[in-house]
Amino acid sequence: MNGISLGKYLPLDSCFHRLDPRAKIGALLMVMIAIFLPAGFLGYFIIGASVLVATYLSKLRLNFLWKAMKPMLFMLIFLLIVNLLVIKEGTLLFQIGSFGIYSGSLVQTLYIVIRLTLMVIITTILTATTKPLDLTLGIEDLLKPLKKCKVPAEEIAMMISLALRFIPTLMEETQRIMKAQMSRGIDLEEGKLKEKIMSILSLIVPLFVSAFQRAADLADAMEARGYVPSQPRTRYKQLRMQKKDYLFLIICLGIIIANIILWRLS
Amino acid sequence: MSITFKKVSHIYQKDTPFAYKALDKIDIHLQQGRMTAIIGATGSGKSTFIQHLNALLLPSEGSINICDREIRSDEKPKNLKELRKQVGLVFQFPEYQLFEETILKDVCFGPKNFKVTQEEAETTAKQMLQIVGLNESYYAISPLDISGGQKRRVAIAGILAMNPDILVLDEPTAGLDPQGAKDMMKLFKELNTVHKKTVLLVTHDMDHVLEYCDDVVVIKDGHIEKHCDVSSFFQDCEALREMGICPPAVIQLKEQLQQKGFAIEKQALSLQDIVKAIVKEVKQ
Repeated sequence: MNGISLGKYLPLDSCFHRLDPRAKIGALLMVMIAIFLPAGFLGYFIIGASVLVATYLSKLRLNFLWKAMKPMLFMLIFLLIVNLLVIKEGTLLFQIGSFGIYSGSLVQTLYIVIRLTLMVIITTILTATTKPLDLTLGIEDLLKPLKKCKVPAEEIAMMISLALRFIPTLMEETQRIMKAQMSRGIDLEEGKLKEKIMSILSLIVPLFVSAFQRAADLADAMEARGYVPSQPRTRYKQLRMQKKDYLFLIICLGIIIANIILWRLS
Repeated sequence: MSITFKKVSHIYQKDTPFAYKALDKIDIHLQQGRMTAIIGATGSGKSTFIQHLNALLLPSEGSINICDREIRSDEKPKNLKELRKQVGLVFQFPEYQLFEETILKDVCFGPKNFKVTQEEAETTAKQMLQIVGLNESYYAISPLDISGGQKRRVAIAGILAMNPDILVLDEPTAGLDPQGAKDMMKLFKELNTVHKKTVLLVTHDMDHVLEYCDDVVVIKDGHIEKHCDVSSFFQDCEALREMGICPPAVIQLKEQLQQKGFAIEKQALSLQDIVKAIVKEVKQ
């Protein structure tokens, strides 16, 4: 459970860690748009280079990003196979039996691989350099304009932060129950399918029971401390955009513009 | 069936920046048939230690001998199920591991995992429920609908139903009312004396240690600080306080009486002994 780096916060001290979470979320959205513009390989080169610089500035190690990528590998391989079978564009490269492998399919797959890789890396940078609580504060502030059309911004942010808060707790709980049931003789590796299903059931039921129990307790505790969902709440931590945050956003805007130009020119 | 640890270390998250050494070259020999208390401050490595007993955690260094099996750090052990049947481990707050529709089914879950037939499992389950003090009227109730103390009894019955030779309990009385805790300790003592099981239990209650246990193991910062029998353990109050252990109420009473000038022997460890000593002195 400790090998997961997707979504994990790393308490380092870098200029990326000190940026305003709203600026970082905004930048993430902009770079995502840039990634999905069909600007060709030169466009991806610009984004890729900026992402590398961002990785360096945020003091993250490439090893950490690689670990975040790992769960995606299976999906990438699956996509490659599907693309090879389906896309019949470009020049025929070679033939295996009745199947032809076309250059178009390889190019398409490469595009998807690059897109997914970049997406995973930028989200990893965001979550690794921003504390989960700061992240939800940022989301809350960004959703505020939507309150006019009755979007419950604060409640959504509260829900996100509670969910994030309970991920490690539930992981711990799962481990604990797993160990307890292993002591009672369940075997998650060996055994017949029926036994395995039974084993999983013996984990899921107690986990659900305790999760609901926790949720009920938490709701009571929040009510006891006077939490009323729709009421305006003050906040101890105020977010302030600074010059460096605007500068950061302008750089990201630059990336989008560069990609739009490349797209239009091609 | 004795347990021997040879230079056992356990390192969590080995080879990462978060590496943490929870056990440090532990050497210990635990005899068969004894009731041993494991005490120590939170974070001292007690839980890590007991999870090695049924190989839920494997040693990073050293080797462990349990029930004629050797578990070494340099090879991956196979067929741990057999060991887990022989060493029953009851976690802290075991009531959270209940999941079946009825209490009887839940107690049967353990034995059935060890390829015991349905009828046999049910017979043992009924016996064990009897031992923990739950009668027939409980068999068909959902284990989620009873009180916390009863849930714990069901969970313990679930481990007992596997008929382990060694019973390991992590703070079995935590969060129970005094009477419930007392009943529970009596139950473990009975399992130890009548059913001849080796019992190891983690506890913070020195009164329980003095009253029910034979041996004491003190764990501090991942090593064994002390391992001796209960009577010699509680004779030296100064040493206890040095280890940060508050002596049991009876021992405190003895200490105060001694300060007031009563000549009570070192070996006096129960209220009766103390009363006898006082009576003797007053008569003189």
